This record gives sequence, structure tokens and C-alpha cells, in this order.
Amino acid sequence: MNARPWADVATFWLPKAGSATEEYEDASWVGPDGSPTGERCGRHVRLAVSDGASESMLASRWAHHLAVSFGRSRASPARTLASAIRSWDEVVSDYTMERERRGSPIQWYEEPGLARGAFATLLVVELRAPLTADEHRGTWRAIAVGDSCIFQVRDERLVASFPVSEPNAFGYSPPLVPSKPSDPKAVIRRMTRHRGDWQSGDSFYAVTDALAAWFLRSVHAGERPWEILRDLGTDAGPPSFAEWVAERRVAGAMHNDDVTLVRIDIW
Amino acid sequence: MAYTAEISRANPTCFVFLIDQSGSMQDAISGGEASQRKCDVVADALNRLLSELVIKCAKEEGVRDYFHVGVIGYGANVGPALGGPLAGRELVPLSEVAASPASLETRSKKVPDGAGGLVDQEVKFPIWVSPVGNGGTPMCQAIARAQSIIAEWLNEHPGCFPPVALNLTDGESTDGDPSLPAENLRTLASADGNVLLFNLHVSSGQTEPVGFPDSDVGLPNTYAKTLFNMSSLLPEHMRAYAQQQGYAVSEGTRGFVFNANIAAVIQFLDIGTRATDLR
Repeated sequence: MNARPWADVATFWLPKAGSATEEYEDASWVGPDGSPTGERCGRHVRLAVSDGASESMLASRWAHHLAVSFGRSRASPARTLASAIRSWDEVVSDYTMERERRGSPIQWYEEPGLARGAFATLLVVELRAPLTADEHRGTWRAIAVGDSCIFQVRDERLVASFPVSEPNAFGYSPPLVPSKPSDPKAVIRRMTRHRGDWQSGDSFYAVTDALAAWFLRSVHAGERPWEILRDLGTDAGPPSFAEWVAERRVAGAMHNDDVTLVRIDIW
Repeated sequence: MAYTAEISRANPTCFVFLIDQSGSMQDAISGGEASQRKCDVVADALNRLLSELVIKCAKEEGVRDYFHVGVIGYGANVGPALGGPLAGRELVPLSEVAASPASLETRSKKVPDGAGGLVDQEVKFPIWVSPVGNGGTPMCQAIARAQSIIAEWLNEHPGCFPPVALNLTDGESTDGDPSLPAENLRTLASADGNVLLFNLHVSSGQTEPVGFPDSDVGLPNTYAKTLFNMSSLLPEHMRAYAQQQGYAVSEGTRGFVFNANIAAVIQFLDIGTRATDLR
């Protein structure tokens, strides 16, 4: 196995303006151990990003459950989804029992949402590690339901944009993964797939929709949005992700929504 | 671009319902197996609208105040018509509406049994407004009241998504032609666009239901035509949602429904990513 560090991960996230931290409904998970930052060596890097639908109950928990389930799984998407749906029942029943214990039982207006289930987007990306320490290239693949995106930048050019590449393609009704699908096979059928190559020096940005739409609009305007994302968390970057996002929101350049960015720089 | 403002707790909007409680609402709607009084139909429609609005904004730690809601009744009097603990209140944050129905009934609803059939399921049905029918139909006064409530709201929330007023009536105004006060109401605006006025017309006549038409041709009487012409044109994104729900729409489509379900309008409002199953 190649033990050389070959990728560096950084994760940034922020709830919608006006929402509390615990109301953040995106989720991300980066393998192999789920740590949101740091070097990766030796193994494949697998990451998952999910964006819980605001109009569904327990959206934050479902997004987290999906991200962790798909981030960790080595099984096929169909088997992983089936397993995530099975284990979700326990999450819901723990939640309702916890509400009972707190003396705050489920109210009439929560029942329809709980009965309908939770909904979230899903993006899963796997970057396959180089086979030897001397190799500086490899392959990657991704699956997606909805509008959480992965962008690949090489030599100051956007070389891959998946599953969305048009800035106007974002809206209030993206395809979503339900916790109680009427037809689980339909979810798998609607999953889109992508394969690509990476090489040393590439950067990947896995993002939820508000940041994705800003990114693609900037690219279409002839700008290089990756320059600022590349510098986030470094001395060359803006003072903080929160301040930078807040400025974009106030300027009307970014929709006020939960924001998530997982950046992977390949060495 | 109009009608794109965010609806959020930081930037809420208001929803004012006007409910006809005049004597003519005691009349039955003919046709169907069980004859229902018009006042029962509009009270039921309003309770359903409120319930759907609450459910749409419900999250696990309560209902979010994306909307402040007012219900104005008009009949023998014109004034706030929410019952129970909210009686007398003019605009109420949605979380309070959710927490304080006058009563909570249990009703039976047909749901799929998973094997191709239907089974009865008990669901909770909150009641905020009871059927009332007496006195004249001071619709002009009621619309003017909505205008003053909404004008005050707009003073305090100039950047909100435009408030919506929804009038549930049999259309037989007794204090003059409601077209002018309706026009005054629709002229009010936030920075994001003009106030929206929608109408649900319930009629005793045996006529086919009509949902979100784009012309008054074919509407059965002058009351219906007046209410159609008083109703706002649906903004573009609402037309798209109406189309998704199976209505034939055009640029002339108005927020008007005749003897049909008006609950669809709740789904015309964007508060965030919608939850829809993949098929």
C-alpha cells in the first residue's frame, strides 16, 4: 500500500443566516475515519455530502445518516441505501422516545412530516489512491441524487462539474433521497454517475447548492471562483469562511442557505 | 425580479384570510351525496389551509414563524375570526396558530394500504374557525380591513415576500362592488412586488368546479366573474407550481378557484427545498 500522503482535506460549513448552528441541515463525511480536515495517505478517499430538504422533518439527521452511511459503505449504492433506510427507523424511534422523555411529545403538525419521511440530496465521491508512491495520477468516480456538486480544477481550469454544470439549474425541487421511498429502485435509477481521472496538483470542491450556484455563475462570468476557495483557511485567504459567505449573501451573490464545502487538494 | 424574496424567520411575510360569514352562507351547496352548507365548506377549507401552512413550516423543534396569519370574518360584523385562545387577535405568528387551535378533531382519511387498496386512517384535524352564517356580506369593508392590516405589516416589513390575502366567499357582496377595494389592496406592495389577492368562490349552483382559470369565459355568473377579475395574476413561479399540479395555465391565470379545492396555494409558496419522492 502507498503510505505517502497524497491528498489534503479541508471542510467548511455554515448554517443559513438567521438560523442557529443546530439548525444546519447539510452534512459531510470524509473517509477513511470521518475527520473533516487533514492529510490522507494510503487509502482511497471517499467523501459524501448531503443537503437535507428544509420542508422535511428530521432533515438534518437524515442528511448526516446518509452521508455517514454512504461515506463508510463499500457495498453497492442499492445495498447501501437499503441498509441506510433500515437503520433509519431506529433513529426515528430514538428521537420520538427522546421527545417523550423530555415531556415534549410529537405534536399534530409534526405527524404528517414524520409519516412522509425525511429527504436529502446525496453526493458520493471516491478518489482512488495511487498504487505506488511514484505515481501521481489516478481515477475518481461519483454518484449523485440532487444538486450537491463536485468540481474538479486543473491548471486554472474547471475540468469537471458533476452532476450540475449550469448555474440556472438550481431550484427548490431537486431530486432527493427519501427515507421512506415509495420505490427504492427509482432512487437508484435516478442516481447519476461520473468517472474521471485526477493528477497531482488537481483540486476538488464538493459543495451544496448555494455555493455550487455561486461557483458556476462565477465560472460562466469568466471568473476563477476556485482562487478564493483554494485560499480558505490559509494565511492568503479571507479572515473566515463565515465572513466570506456573509459578504456574498449580503451582496446578493449567494442564496441564503446552509453552505458546505469539502476541499481536496491532490499533492 | 418580483416575487423572489426569501420567506424566512428573519424576513417573514403575512397571510390574511377573509371568510364570508353572512346569512347566505347557510344555504346548501346542491349536488353530491351529502348536501353541505356553504359556511361548512368555507370553514373546512380555511381550517385545512391553516393546517397545511402549519405543517409546511413544521420542523422538529416547533413551527417556524415564516408567516404571520390573520383571519377576518365578515357577516353581521367584520373582525378577527380565529376561535379559542386566539379569539380577537388580528395577526398571529404561525407557531402560535399551531399551538392554539380551538379544538383538535379526529377525522378519518383514506390512505393506500400498500396492496393496491385503501384503508381508513385516523388523522388529527385542528379547528380554528367554526361555521357561521348570519347578517349581510360586507365584503368591501372586509377587504378594506385586510388592506389596513397588510399596510401596517408592510410598514414594518418593507422587504418581505408580498403578503397574500385569500378571500373565501359566495361572492354576494352587500356593501357595494368589491372590485375597487380589491384593486386598492392589490396596489399595496413590498420591495418584492404587489400584494396578492386570491379568491375561493363557493356557489349553490350545480356547476363544474374550476381551478385557476385564465379567463372568465365559462364562469357561471356575475359573482364568479367579478371575483375572477378581482384576483391577482399568478406570478410566474406559482404558475409553474399550478402546472405541476395538473392545472392548465397561461400568463392570464389568476388566483381564483370556483367550488374546488384551494389548498394548492399553500404549495405555491417557497420556504426552502421541497420534499418530493422520486418516481
